[in-house]
Amino acid sequence: MASHHFFTASRLLIVAGKGGVGKSAVAGALALSCARSGLSTLLVDLEASQNPLPAHERLQRLTISPGRALEDYLLAHRLGLVSRQLARTGLIELVASTAPGIDDLLVLGKIKSLERELSTDIIIVDGPPAGHALELLRAPARLMQAIGGGPIHHQATEVSAMLSDPTRCRVMLVTTPAMTPVSETVEVAFDLEESVGVSLTPVVVNKIDTSPPVLDATTLEHTLRTAYEYACARSQAQSAAISKLRTLLPLRQLHIPRFTSQGEQLIYAMADEIETQLELLS
Amino acid sequence: MTSSVDTMCREARVIVICGTGGVGKTSIAAALGLEAARLGRRAVVITIDPALRLADAIGITASVGNEPQQVSADVSGELWVSMLDVQQTFDQLVRDTSPTPQVAAEVMNNSFYRTMSQSLSGTRDYMAAERLYSLSNDPRFDVVIVDTPPSRNALDFLESPERLARFLQHHIVRLLIAPSRGGFGIAGAAMQSVTKIISSVVGSDALSGAVSFLRAFEGMEDEFSRHALTVATTLRSDATHFVVVTAPFADALGEADHFVSELARLTIPLRLIVANRMPPTFGSTSAAQERELAATTFGDTALAHALLADMTHEAEEASAKVIEFISRTRTIFPNAATAQATEQAVDIHDMESIGTLADQLAVHLSSK
Repeated sequence: MASHHFFTASRLLIVAGKGGVGKSAVAGALALSCARSGLSTLLVDLEASQNPLPAHERLQRLTISPGRALEDYLLAHRLGLVSRQLARTGLIELVASTAPGIDDLLVLGKIKSLERELSTDIIIVDGPPAGHALELLRAPARLMQAIGGGPIHHQATEVSAMLSDPTRCRVMLVTTPAMTPVSETVEVAFDLEESVGVSLTPVVVNKIDTSPPVLDATTLEHTLRTAYEYACARSQAQSAAISKLRTLLPLRQLHIPRFTSQGEQLIYAMADEIETQLELLS
Repeated sequence: MTSSVDTMCREARVIVICGTGGVGKTSIAAALGLEAARLGRRAVVITIDPALRLADAIGITASVGNEPQQVSADVSGELWVSMLDVQQTFDQLVRDTSPTPQVAAEVMNNSFYRTMSQSLSGTRDYMAAERLYSLSNDPRFDVVIVDTPPSRNALDFLESPERLARFLQHHIVRLLIAPSRGGFGIAGAAMQSVTKIISSVVGSDALSGAVSFLRAFEGMEDEFSRHALTVATTLRSDATHFVVVTAPFADALGEADHFVSELARLTIPLRLIVANRMPPTFGSTSAAQERELAATTFGDTALAHALLADMTHEAEEASAKVIEFISRTRTIFPNAATAQATEQAVDIHDMESIGTLADQLAVHLSSK
């Protein structure tokens, strides 16, 4: 089964994309497909979310909030002796600003321990928006350099090893067929490969409109003709963006149409589409 | 009669644009800048989204940085664009608030300062506020238009000046930068254990870098805090207008609700709601009528009616969602004006398409 094969290539799959491209819906649909293919699946949200996710016996969900990761870490590991009052006020901020990115590292550290615990077959992370995804994924390498030793250096080394190992972790970028999201996706893709060494899955192009039927526009009355021409221009602009992505980024593409359904219905429809597309890729 | 958008473009000193990613916030910022320039004002548009290219949206090829660049446009005023450079802004701030050039140099050469100013997200927020403040006091410009970061916490930058000032005045920071006089007394003992914890987490090199930064910074702290409060005051003044941009998608409207409640929490009035990326309408028939026509005609005409029925249906649904959003927002901000813009067939990529967008926004809507 193609989707089973696709998902088992690495235990961890991080989904990233610019706001508005439907990243969370894609992550939810991937998690559902993964569970349906027989794998126990954990969907990790990095922001408390109300994104819909259909229930499935092999599907679980967890939120890791970046804002809390550092506080949790300090409370759990280091702050037994001093007042917690102290921790809640200036100290957290001081540590966070002394070692920028430490919060991001600790989020990835939590994901890494989930990955090592083997409590589910696959972990899918609904990642941060594309811009922040870069910051998040670069944090371990940066901290490894900035901090010479100690627990954070150790953590950063281990997380970096996970990110650059394609059998443990892959990143899936999501975009829409429009010029700005496409340009941004290309930039982020190259940056991620070069500065983090992370391996990328096929890129998802989401919200593609169905192309209008081929008509003889000259026979149509004015309003119909204007509407038809608009639909054609839109469809052409989308095709142009998709070809641009194909030219600039040597990754295979998964195409998902724009669905009008919402909520769980959308996730079901998208999961069906993803499974079909994965069959085609294999 | 002047439209509410034109009134804003004529009167505001600062326009802050909130909205989630994908609603076209940057394009709306550019369009409002263009509209202000058309009305004879000298407008500067600044984007603080790290991943966004204002230049792309406007179709200019030169790379845009901190220093505003003028865009050639056929307007009676001026249109300038700029993109936040956190490092440059912070350096300028250090130079402006240092008592002596030596102190400024000491701060800027500190390794902690360099990593902090580059990569700490709170720093970006604060530098955005700082940049906004300095452009709003720049005699070259009449109005500054800013788009906010594409995150849920976009409005954090409003509170960032106070937050940084508070951080610097915090007693742990004070104790840490106090010259060490031996570890006597409760404060000294507590501090030793705090120092130990911090250095065990971040490493002792990083900690000593931070301490020497904070010590150097101490000399400029009063000026810095005073400055931060002035920035905060500007952001809260009547001449700063807040706009929420949304689009007819469930996630965008949900995020817009969040921005509206954040503004309410901060007691900042919402001046304008922009519904962007609305599906266009063609003719005046309803989706049901078009479907009827598709069933009673033949050939290409029938297919075109069927296509138009789908498009009209989408437009009707979008409009219903936006009307619902506007009415629930008006229960909180009864005076908020509204404007709409449709999704253009080709994405916004040049001044001409920004111009079309500005035309749409400036249309006076019947006051509801």
